[in-house]
Amino acid sequence: MQIELLCRTASTVAKVTLGAGESVTCEVGSMVAMTPQVVVETTSKSRGGGMMAGIRRVFSGESFFLNHFTSRVEGGSVYLAPSQLADVYHHALRGGTVVVQGSSWLASSAGIEIDTTFAGLGNALFSGESMFWVKCTGTGDLLFNSFGAIYPIDVDGSYVVDTGHIVAFEETLAFQMTKASSSFIGSFLGGEGLVCRFNGRGRVWVQSHQPDAFGRTIGPLLLPRD
Amino acid sequence: MSNLLVARVDERPDFPLLRVALEPGQKVFAEPGAMVTMTSGVKLTAGFRGGIGATIGRALGGESLIMTTYAATESGEVTFAPPSLGDIQHVRLDGSGTVLVQRGAFLAHGEGVEVSASWQGARGFFSGQGLVMLKASGSGDLFFNSFGALIPLDVASDGLIVDTGFIVAFEDTVTYRVRSLPTARAGLFSKLKTFFMGGEAIVCEFSGRGRVWIQARQLGSYLSWVHPYRPVKQRSNDD
Repeated sequence: MQIELLCRTASTVAKVTLGAGESVTCEVGSMVAMTPQVVVETTSKSRGGGMMAGIRRVFSGESFFLNHFTSRVEGGSVYLAPSQLADVYHHALRGGTVVVQGSSWLASSAGIEIDTTFAGLGNALFSGESMFWVKCTGTGDLLFNSFGAIYPIDVDGSYVVDTGHIVAFEETLAFQMTKASSSFIGSFLGGEGLVCRFNGRGRVWVQSHQPDAFGRTIGPLLLPRD
Repeated sequence: MSNLLVARVDERPDFPLLRVALEPGQKVFAEPGAMVTMTSGVKLTAGFRGGIGATIGRALGGESLIMTTYAATESGEVTFAPPSLGDIQHVRLDGSGTVLVQRGAFLAHGEGVEVSASWQGARGFFSGQGLVMLKASGSGDLFFNSFGALIPLDVASDGLIVDTGFIVAFEDTVTYRVRSLPTARAGLFSKLKTFFMGGEAIVCEFSGRGRVWIQARQLGSYLSWVHPYRPVKQRSNDD
């Protein structure tokens, strides 16, 4: 599988070129174009997860169904794009687990097990993001998207990220909700409220923009809906 | 003096600016409102260009009735930007081919290019292209825009499948038909599942030899994302 990211940054498209018989599992609705020798199978199953995995996916902001694109010939290609004005990040997973924030998972190759996991009640309530995360384990290619640009950060020790800006992180990092300032009042007046503190060694991917903040900025300026 | 324009697009794909250099006597025609800057030797006139037929054709193709003409009295430059968050593509027509452009995607053209309406019928309706597309023919320069980046794709001998709503323009040497996605299993159940749950119920399959330009995002999906953030209409007690 070869992955090429086209037209970066605001409207990135991932061109996935497949070998004969090779397949890629994608978020429903993300296919923009493909060569005709590629066939699709829509299932609720991912590798390592049955029906329950599908149900859990719904809660993570993803679809219950997944599309598996398989090429019948060498060099068949699929063009994938998120619906948001967003960048796409390609991570070559070599064992280990990457935890992707609810709606950011875009696609992964067959060697990656995807499962939706509950973030934990405390984390979910306060992180402002989806209550569920998509856990990607194994070896292969992983594609996830952001809102805005994606910045990878290598953490060694402790690092603080605002909750709305987390895209993904390696599971080697421990995750803790904490207030941004030493006092509660300072935290909320500072506009950050609660933040995520990562401890350990690993990589965090953050996004430049926060979808909810953008929505709340432009929404009130639009005509009311019925 | 040549009809052909010296043009370039800067800052692709996110925030493109089209720069057209004009020699004395050269003209460029654009959608009203597309101009960003022009040098003082360029004269702007607005009107129904190309007679009643072309004007109605443009209107059916989702474009403005009025076309703005930029004519250079001395060497100068006009710059244009798309109305939306999108990319600009420059295509030079050599007189033999025709390019069909999606409703609303037309930006500008040079002298020697004729823009008219092309009836797409039921196929256009189901493919999301709209009943009418704009047809650009002749020899000269054509500029169109998109939502998100523009990607040129060449239709290979075995064809090309594009999700509806992502097609911006294509050469008339290719034809398309509307179909459902090819499924891995032949059974009716898997076909139905892909059709209803696969996210891409209907796609366009292109065949022939030529180029298709697709856009990286869809304005419609963006609007659906914004929708929940809109305020809810307050109902008065009189209703």
